[in-house]
Amino acid sequence: MSESFSASEMYTWMEEGVPHLYLDVRNEADFSRFHVEGPQDIELLNIPYFDFLEKPEETVAKLDASRSVRVICAKEGSAQFIADMLEEFGFGDIQWLAKGIIAWGNVLVAKQVPTPDHYELWQFNRPGKGSCAYGLIHKGELMLFDISKNLEFYRNFARARNLSLVAVFETHLQADYISGGPSLASEFEVDYIAHEGDFSSSNVTYRAVVDGESIGFSKAGGPSVLCTHSPGHTPGSTTYVIDDKYMISGDTVFIVSVGRPDLGKKVVEWAKQLYATLKNRISVLPDELMVLPSHYTDWTKEANGDHLIINDFGTVKALNESIYALASEDEFVSWVEANMRPQPEEYNRIRRVNANIETVDLATAEELDLGKNQCAASQG
Amino acid sequence: MSHNDEIDCSGMSCPLPVVKSKMKIDTMNPGEVLKIITTDPGSCKDIPAWANRVGHEMIEEAEENGKYYFLVKRGE
Ligand SMILES: [Fe+2]
Repeated sequence: MSESFSASEMYTWMEEGVPHLYLDVRNEADFSRFHVEGPQDIELLNIPYFDFLEKPEETVAKLDASRSVRVICAKEGSAQFIADMLEEFGFGDIQWLAKGIIAWGNVLVAKQVPTPDHYELWQFNRPGKGSCAYGLIHKGELMLFDISKNLEFYRNFARARNLSLVAVFETHLQADYISGGPSLASEFEVDYIAHEGDFSSSNVTYRAVVDGESIGFSKAGGPSVLCTHSPGHTPGSTTYVIDDKYMISGDTVFIVSVGRPDLGKKVVEWAKQLYATLKNRISVLPDELMVLPSHYTDWTKEANGDHLIINDFGTVKALNESIYALASEDEFVSWVEANMRPQPEEYNRIRRVNANIETVDLATAEELDLGKNQCAASQG
Repeated sequence: MSHNDEIDCSGMSCPLPVVKSKMKIDTMNPGEVLKIITTDPGSCKDIPAWANRVGHEMIEEAEENGKYYFLVKRGE
């Protein structure tokens, strides 16, 4: 009987460049909707499990028995089935992904961002989504930003370091994943801090952030969080500048591209807001600020050598010169419209869940939450 | 539409609905129709994907009270 591997192990193999052959046995439609991608290119094949059932010899012959093969499916049953079959065919190093592609979609990787010694800043990367949450720590207190629904991960993170959660921030009403912010904030009885532009018509209990306010830790000497309203991607989008050194930029500034302003039904209006935000509120920030975005699309372009999604704002502006150089509001709106593409159909429902207008059971939440983000205004 | 044989895969999860359906349809003649019943949500994409890929014909798909029904005509 073949053995399983965990989704976190898979991330580590990818980061370390272990040369496994990944075999995804789901149907082609599910594979093309979402599949595994990591910090380095991997060899990934999609051969539906029913090919192995129908024509075992012919299908197995497509694979090299000397390779280490890691099998992936939706839940785990089919991957285990195919892994066992490959073992019978003489493959020596075969494992299957425990709990399937959903486990991969939920993996979080915690990495520390270099900071001055008196505080810590962590990036919680969710490779299956292409999204990042953040944690800011000072003298035993923890602030979290843009967390996903994997609450157990955040509870464990805090518990293992003996931290008390003091606030949960949201950069905006997320459309591409289900937020864990409101639940965790109410569990720990701390503020869920977000902008009324996105949350005033929601059923979420939140503490409205005020443009220009600075939020600090309870003990003296800690970093401050300067809240800057930066509408465009959504009306309530807010950028959090930490210690005048880091910009938690939400879906306003990405390392590559900017957040798409066409997810609501008011493309022109929101695109104009984004233009004004980038010109008057964001471009004026110092080039030395390190950009920490909520999303990324391409590891090779957006991660640094330590697999952190980070870059300085000067470089970010240079990478996106064609966007930041758009000379007028009209040009910017035309650029947005030229790059528009459909949004995934589940986004509307995710927004309703995040606004607490609709509640869904866990299985539905997992299904809605699966898939790579489509939040950038331009692709490639 | 009438069918020649039926298999109930209620309660089974991947890959069993496809495994059982394949075994069943292999015993039938080309042109005959198999009715498949499943409850696993994964099967609602996998059964049609399997049927189309291996040369059977998907005739009907329906969902009712948490059960999925398929009519698959055996290919040559
Ligand atoms: Fe977003």
